[in-house]
Amino acid sequence: MKETYVKSWLKDALGIFNLELGRLLRDGGVMIIFIVAGFLYPILYNFVYRNGVLEDTPIAVVDDAGCTDSRRMIREMDATREIEIAYRCTDMEEARELFRDRRVNGIIYFPSDFGDRLANKETAVFSIYADMSSFLYYKNLLMGSEFVMLNEINGIKVERYRFDGLTDQQADASVNTVLYDDVNPYNRAFSYSIFLISAILMLIIQQVMFYGMSMSVGTMREENRSFASLPDTLRGRGVGRVVLGRGAVYWLIFMVIGIYVTTIVPAMFGFPQRGSFRDIMTLLAIFVTVCVFFCMTWSTLVTRRESAFILFLFMSPVCIFLTGCSWPTTAFPAFWKWFSYLFPSTFGCQAFIDLNTAGADLEIVAPQLKALCLQGMVYFALACGAVYVENFVLKRKGRIDEVRREVEGRIERRIGAEKIQI
Amino acid sequence: MTFIGKIWNVVRREVRIWVRRPVYIVGSVFVMAFCTVFYLTFLRDGVPSDVPIAVVDLDNSSTSREFCRQLDATQLGRVVRYDDFAPARADMQGGRVTSVCVIPDGFNRDIQAQRQPTVSIYINGLYFLGGSLAWKDLLTMVNLTGGAVQREVLRMQGVPESSIMGLLRPVDIDVHQIGNPTMNYGAYLANMMIPGMLQMVVIILLIYSLGTELKYGTGRHLLQSVDGDIYAAVSGKMALYTVLFTLIGWTIEVILYKWMHFPLAGRLGQMLLACFLLVLASEAVAVFIIGLVPVCRFALSIGALYSVLGLSLTGFTLPVEAMPAGLRGLALMYPLRYYYGMYVQVGVFGSGFGQWFFYVVMLMLFCFLPFLVMRRLGHAYEYLDYERN
Repeated sequence: MKETYVKSWLKDALGIFNLELGRLLRDGGVMIIFIVAGFLYPILYNFVYRNGVLEDTPIAVVDDAGCTDSRRMIREMDATREIEIAYRCTDMEEARELFRDRRVNGIIYFPSDFGDRLANKETAVFSIYADMSSFLYYKNLLMGSEFVMLNEINGIKVERYRFDGLTDQQADASVNTVLYDDVNPYNRAFSYSIFLISAILMLIIQQVMFYGMSMSVGTMREENRSFASLPDTLRGRGVGRVVLGRGAVYWLIFMVIGIYVTTIVPAMFGFPQRGSFRDIMTLLAIFVTVCVFFCMTWSTLVTRRESAFILFLFMSPVCIFLTGCSWPTTAFPAFWKWFSYLFPSTFGCQAFIDLNTAGADLEIVAPQLKALCLQGMVYFALACGAVYVENFVLKRKGRIDEVRREVEGRIERRIGAEKIQI
Repeated sequence: MTFIGKIWNVVRREVRIWVRRPVYIVGSVFVMAFCTVFYLTFLRDGVPSDVPIAVVDLDNSSTSREFCRQLDATQLGRVVRYDDFAPARADMQGGRVTSVCVIPDGFNRDIQAQRQPTVSIYINGLYFLGGSLAWKDLLTMVNLTGGAVQREVLRMQGVPESSIMGLLRPVDIDVHQIGNPTMNYGAYLANMMIPGMLQMVVIILLIYSLGTELKYGTGRHLLQSVDGDIYAAVSGKMALYTVLFTLIGWTIEVILYKWMHFPLAGRLGQMLLACFLLVLASEAVAVFIIGLVPVCRFALSIGALYSVLGLSLTGFTLPVEAMPAGLRGLALMYPLRYYYGMYVQVGVFGSGFGQWFFYVVMLMLFCFLPFLVMRRLGHAYEYLDYERN
């Protein structure tokens, strides 16, 4: 009975699927990476960045002015979320000492003429010295003192206008000519965790799959087998079967890990989940598919079990930067912008941040989804190409051996013949 | 055979392995070169400029147009105009613009009549740097607009020019950024990211170098070349890798502080010392891991997990104080944490020996770690009685 093309295709793909699945399940090392890294890493990162917001940065104050205004401002600064007045020093030398011992992360200095200048209706200046070893110290010191300063400015100005004979309302209207309302809807407190974890979660899926698949490919190479062997009955055709059959195994495993990472982990840590479940699953399905082809393509470069760690571990932090979650994509140098298009994580992370954390819908992330689909097609072609090339080389290896033996044989015979002639 | 002779044997043997397997040189020199180039070129601007800011101008008056022009002219911002709020919001949600600024209808009229119009500012804080910079830029511009209006009013009232500034801005801040006066984001990250990658590469590569001897069962051959002296075997490998990685590390330090001229308050020599100790301490951690788990693959997985987390736990981005208590203890287990401490003292404050010797001592303490597992590792090399894969 002759089988139809579809039937035999499915049979072969299923056979390859079973083979690959069995191979993965028996490989303890790969399973450990999938399970430990896939399930543990999201939790670990959530723990590290759990608080996300740095509060009450310890600051030393040197108040040479000693007037009511400076004392009031110091009290107000201490009351902000950002700053804690940890030490009141008599001079700058003492404060500098504390600064260097890292007991404080900044100094606020009120010069002796601060009160006088205020009384003279001049601009009174106070200084802040921020420790730039972490930008968050600087941000806290600057924001805390700026909030207090803006508030003080208003108070002082209103008072001065009133002094000139304006009513309260007139004074307020002259001081606050333009009001503003600022909202940071997706990350209210500029929390470090909310922006970073959103990107890390998707990246974990890609990286874990890559290390796992590379390890599996490397193992086969070490054992002198190939990841790309085609079923013998096909006589060299059926590259698609191998790619899709093998890919299906990883796709299934990583959809499970992916659902855990994108929906359960955020729920566990009270992380914002503003997107609709259906949208996130759509993104995940596309992203995992692209990741499978991406990993298949690049893992062909791996020749040994452990090589992936040595050669590609450093790419994980690089990929985080390439998503554009910290350094804005508009400021990327052109080369790195193109380089970032190589990785599914670039678009996957952006789309996940927008969908899950900013609550966008699929229409808004359409550019990223389109890019992912295009990437998927290119990597699918490349993965097929890799299998084809691998088979070509393998087959030719047999032929080369044959040819060599034949040539050797001929030479022997020739020599033999010549011998007879002589 | 003297101890030095044994070490020489191991070094020669290791160099032969390098020649046969290029992965060692690629994994160290090439990887570090790539990382250095990446972090130095990717963040070369220091501070991003021209981040896209959406402006929905519902007023279209001369004042609002002037506001847009001024905002566009700032170094930080680039104005993208929208007619309607909905598409602007969608683009902000999609991360294509960092923030949306809505200028209400009647903005100009209300200003003239002192009716205090309200400008609405929406920021996408998920794209961290872009969002916070756009926010800062917008607040500055709104305040300046208010200030300009007030100045006009004061001038009309006949207030002398000399006292206007005092009325407009009674209090001001003089900001000093110690250790990074230009707020160069590239310098800030590259200073720690590149040594962080060095720590990662040292740990991974040394684990691999020691682990492959177990994997391919060549441990006994290694021991034979040193008369069974495991201390000589490990020292020999460490010696060669110390030279390699110290050279790489020093090259990087020189690039950072001499070529790129990143701010360094102290002396370069002190950073070179810190870098050398970072390499040594990371190697000690690598030996400890492979000694504890003498299975190449497991040790590599542990090393990878450990060193990737190290970048976060060092606390140069989110400070350690903001992490949960349990993790603060974990942060102490990273050589990079002490390198960072030393960098802060040397690079930011330019302090003397008294301030940074603690970090040197802590980095040196790491070097005692291998002694704890040496016998175990020797045993594993001799009997190869662990799983190989």
